[in-house]
Amino acid sequence: MLKELTRETKATMGIYEPRRDKVYGLLAEFSDPGALLHAAEGVREAGYKHFDTHSPFPVHGMDRAMGLGNSKVGYITLVGGITGLAVATWLQWWTGGVDYPLDISGKPFFAWEPSIPIMFELTILFAALAAVAGMFALNGLPRPYNPLFYSENFSRVTDDAFFLHVAASDGRFDMEKTEQLLRDLGALYVEVIEDLGTEQGPAGDVRGEAVEKAQA
Amino acid sequence: MWLVDPLQPTPATGADFRYTADARSWLAPTLIGVALLIVSFVGWAVDAHQFYFSYLIGWIFCVSVAVGAQFFVIVQHLTKAHWSVVVRRIAEALVWAFPVLALLSIPIFFGMHDLFHWTHHELFDPGSPEYDPVLAGKEAYLNVPFFLVRVLFYFAVWTLIGYRLYTLSVRQDGDPDRSIPARQRSTSAWGLPLMAVTTAFASYDFLMSLDPHWFSTIFGVYFFADSFLSSFAFITLLAVLFQRSGMLRRTISAEHYHDLGKFMFGFTVFWAYIAFSQYMLIWYGNLPEETIWYRIRLENGWQVYSAVLLVGHFIIPFWVLISRSAKRILPLMAFMSVWILIMHWFDFWWIAMPVLRETNPAFHWLDFTSALGLFGIMLGLCLYRLSRHSLVPENDPRLQKSIAFVNV
Repeated sequence: MLKELTRETKATMGIYEPRRDKVYGLLAEFSDPGALLHAAEGVREAGYKHFDTHSPFPVHGMDRAMGLGNSKVGYITLVGGITGLAVATWLQWWTGGVDYPLDISGKPFFAWEPSIPIMFELTILFAALAAVAGMFALNGLPRPYNPLFYSENFSRVTDDAFFLHVAASDGRFDMEKTEQLLRDLGALYVEVIEDLGTEQGPAGDVRGEAVEKAQA
Repeated sequence: MWLVDPLQPTPATGADFRYTADARSWLAPTLIGVALLIVSFVGWAVDAHQFYFSYLIGWIFCVSVAVGAQFFVIVQHLTKAHWSVVVRRIAEALVWAFPVLALLSIPIFFGMHDLFHWTHHELFDPGSPEYDPVLAGKEAYLNVPFFLVRVLFYFAVWTLIGYRLYTLSVRQDGDPDRSIPARQRSTSAWGLPLMAVTTAFASYDFLMSLDPHWFSTIFGVYFFADSFLSSFAFITLLAVLFQRSGMLRRTISAEHYHDLGKFMFGFTVFWAYIAFSQYMLIWYGNLPEETIWYRIRLENGWQVYSAVLLVGHFIIPFWVLISRSAKRILPLMAFMSVWILIMHWFDFWWIAMPVLRETNPAFHWLDFTSALGLFGIMLGLCLYRLSRHSLVPENDPRLQKSIAFVNV
């Protein structure tokens, strides 16, 4: 149960588990952002959940096409902000009113007026840090290793290529049917990606194998 | 008629941009406004002192909404904003309110002796028992001739900038002259600093000088925060009303309301930030001539009104407008627009009224009749201008992008 939950949570971050036979998923290249958007819609409508798109730049409307819904970062930010507010209130009250009360021109040891700037600043600070941390966490970042890097074609994703990756961990994943679906959606080619881990031998061999398998 | 609309009517080409409501839509608010003003003038015979204060609050409220709209148009031009083009005409129609507002300011000049303590001559006469050395020191600024010159200057500047922004935009509808966006931008560029200075000084003259001993250097920013916020509320309200009546249906979308809502939220916080900055520095400095202003507002029942201001002008809009989905619910946005406009008026009422009713805070019926009367006239004439022209700047190069705008 817990394992299942962990797997699903990691999948929302774009981190998928490979199959027992090391197959990580299918990678398909599309000609342009429009085709990628259309393909993402098609894959979602076919019922897939574990898939991700990769492009050199943000594609307008991709969130909706992939069915991602609203970002949860806002809630994390809100929790961060409220935490900051509480910490600052406590800090002002405890340092000024309890631990080390100082009489400064007859002002009260603890008062709301001079505390509000600190409460405001710490609210913003905690909220901002929570927003960045939440963004990283929800994206599964930093992620130095990604099995997609085994594909030589994939290196063009930061340049001029548009990819859709369907993970093997998806319940509907089926080597033939998924490949057919991707081809029907207009993929230029479909490639099998295997997760060989970081310790495996020279990348060149591995890639060769994968391409052969895909062609077979 | 030049005061109401300096331009001949121009037909809209796009069906969605046409003002389809009949003349009653603008005639009704105008006539109700005039009727309420007449009632208020009757109130003058009953209680002139109260009338002048109520009238000043209602009038400066209307001025500030128009000033906010002028800032809105200027900022959109200077930033070359895409998203706002579909709602910009609403603000542009509002900025031509200045000539009529100048006309409607006349009663205030008759009531200066009642409104402004510093107009009393005996304060400046060392031989008089009423002599006030502090105010005598401010005589170089706070005197009637200079006051009148300043007011004239403010309205000249506002009207000039408003004239250029409004007429250039409407001219563009029928004349796709490529140089118009650049001219709108240049007017905005020199207009913005002038607006900043005149708005700040107008707030000193009409509101801060009601209590001439008191001063706050942030007061102009406070006034600006209020007026900019209210202009978003005004634009949102009119956009919702237009769409309900079948106009701009395919032009304005939830995306635009979302952005207007973000600004409403942002400037709600900005207002609170500025209001608190003013309060905290005075609290910290603890100088009697400054703290007295807040002390009056925290005693004799005024503390209830101050609490209402804090909750109504900041806490409620903050929590209502914070979520993304709330900004995309049109009825809620329309409700919050009305709420913010009312709170904006209440803020000015809270600033001005303790001068008159230091120990007996209460609303007077004249507060409502004069504010609603003036606002009705301003709204009705704004709708009249909108009815004569297209509801969007049709040849603006960014219009199509604005219609297609989507929040990322």
